Amino acid sequence: MPFALAWTSLRRHGTRTLLAMLGVAVAAAMLLDMVMMSTGMRESFRSLLLSRGFQLRLAPKGTLPFDTDATMSNTGGMVRVLRANPNFTAVSPVLGGTIHIPRGDRVITSSALGLDPRVQGDYEMLSGRDPLAANEMVANDELIRALGVRMGDTLRVAGGYDPQTREYSLTRRLVLTGRVRFLYGASHQRAAAMQLGTLQKMSGPDKADASSLFMIRVREGSSVDSATRWIRERIFTVNVISTESALNQVDERLRYFRQLAVILGSVSLFVGFLLVTTLVTVSVNERIGEIAVMRAIGVSRVHVVMQIVLEGVAISLVGAFAGLLLGLVTGRYLNSILSSFPGLPEAIDFFLFQPKAAWTALGLLALSGIAAGVYPAFRASSLPIATTLRQEAIA
Amino acid sequence: MINALLAVAFLLQAPQRTIAIDERLAADAHLSVGDRVVLSAIPESSRGDTVVISAIVKRGTDPAEVARSEFRIRLHLDHLQSIAGYGDRVDRFAVATPSDAATEKALAEINSAAFGFEAHRSKDIAVGTSKTFQVVSRFHKAIGVITIVASAIFLLCIMLLKVEERRRDVAALRLIGISQRTVMRAVVIEAALLALVGSALGVGAGWVGSQFVNWYYRGVYRTPLAFSIVTPSIITLAVALSLVLGIAAGILASLRLVRTPPLVLFGR
Repeated sequence: MPFALAWTSLRRHGTRTLLAMLGVAVAAAMLLDMVMMSTGMRESFRSLLLSRGFQLRLAPKGTLPFDTDATMSNTGGMVRVLRANPNFTAVSPVLGGTIHIPRGDRVITSSALGLDPRVQGDYEMLSGRDPLAANEMVANDELIRALGVRMGDTLRVAGGYDPQTREYSLTRRLVLTGRVRFLYGASHQRAAAMQLGTLQKMSGPDKADASSLFMIRVREGSSVDSATRWIRERIFTVNVISTESALNQVDERLRYFRQLAVILGSVSLFVGFLLVTTLVTVSVNERIGEIAVMRAIGVSRVHVVMQIVLEGVAISLVGAFAGLLLGLVTGRYLNSILSSFPGLPEAIDFFLFQPKAAWTALGLLALSGIAAGVYPAFRASSLPIATTLRQEAIA
Repeated sequence: MINALLAVAFLLQAPQRTIAIDERLAADAHLSVGDRVVLSAIPESSRGDTVVISAIVKRGTDPAEVARSEFRIRLHLDHLQSIAGYGDRVDRFAVATPSDAATEKALAEINSAAFGFEAHRSKDIAVGTSKTFQVVSRFHKAIGVITIVASAIFLLCIMLLKVEERRRDVAALRLIGISQRTVMRAVVIEAALLALVGSALGVGAGWVGSQFVNWYYRGVYRTPLAFSIVTPSIITLAVALSLVLGIAAGILASLRLVRTPPLVLFGR
């Protein structure tokens, strides 16, 4: 019976119920987005960092990978030291730089990575093959489009530019062998990759044996903490960054968004709660006479409470389901805004959908629906029956 | 004789180089004016220049730096060139001009005459380096639109409830001859007043929130940057928006009421 009575009561004021559900839907959409944002960034970044199985990264002391132009010298020596550890299954040195490619009367400038193609963890191949020879390179779609070239074309690529004489220096002829997607590239960023030695030579004598980053894959079952200690004891000029410490650094930088998610999520939940409470309270006030009659003919307090709480929960849950769908759409839109953050990898999702996030949002709204019905239900169940009936009769 | 030699040695001794450090570095490394530190471009190097801290400076209000927890030190140009092995090179020149017209003139002259240089207006550079904040601003606007939709629905709901609560009052007014128009006007005025008082309270709450946001994030990021500013245009927008929404909600709710016959409103 409580279900039938709750349903009848909601249907009696259709417009009001619909508006309340719409309000809850918008609040639920916001809540889902904020739950997705508070957990999504970290998970998205973690899966990106671990996508190629590298658990450790080495950057110049005091910096994060590619955070500054600082480089590490003696790359060859460091590679030898690191590869001597049997627990490291892959050691991938990377150098970052800028290249200039003249095309007709214009020059295309792009970022470039020098790496070891056999153990690299920076790009995934879309077509063609890795730059296995010193005179080969691969590029992403943005650069290929800007250059207007095809696979197999030979390009004149300069590593240096002198603004005084407006001349390009350290030039090489490189063959485009592959089309790739850079895992850590920002959106619309032009990028190319070539062998480490090639980019070192193109970057000038002071970068002859330099690297910007090392990525290390630790053998399965080995301790990453022990590996970190092992490196710190042998190489003093680097920052050893594990996935966890990188995540903590990212958390620190994006703390604002996590806090915003908590604040806006709480406000959404509160607004949804307030809306349902107001509606159910007014609905109970309007039906005081009916409730008194029900109590007078023997309907128990528990039944009255259940009916009113059910009204609140029904509004919250229907609104929440609609809100979850709406939240996915708005989340995608908000993600498209935040993904244009300068320097942030395109693959990072601020609003990562996880079933856990949806269940959390739904659970919180169901709880707020129950809480919203508590006060009006208490009021209805504790009505003095005779007095209420008399007042209603006089009115 | 010895005294004379010491005096000559003292005069020949190179003066101690000085640096300025930012307040964040001073606080974290427990440094103060007069302390001596060793500077080196190579991490963990045992060799370097011993310098004296001569000043502690406030951090600039550069949005591009806000999320970076870098420390900053200021050196004399020749000193940094020497430490970094940078020769006689610089990254950029800053040129002060007396007026906007002079800026434009200088810009045109430098770009046409100076080979290998490109001059930019400071405000153009500021726009370029504040891209992070532009993204955040777009994000806030999108959140604002969602909030406005939620508020509009909330307001409409409340207005609907308010007028429905007074069905009998309105029925009585209609039965004693008060016109539909007057009833509607009264409901709309009430809605507008509600929206006005609500928005005034909202502006107050927003101002307090803004002060709190600035206080909190200035502490977190240790910067003098203003994160939230309540401007007259923002207040105007907020008040105008809530008035429009309130009046629209009032019209919709009152239309429902006046279109219902008075006896039906009475429940007869």
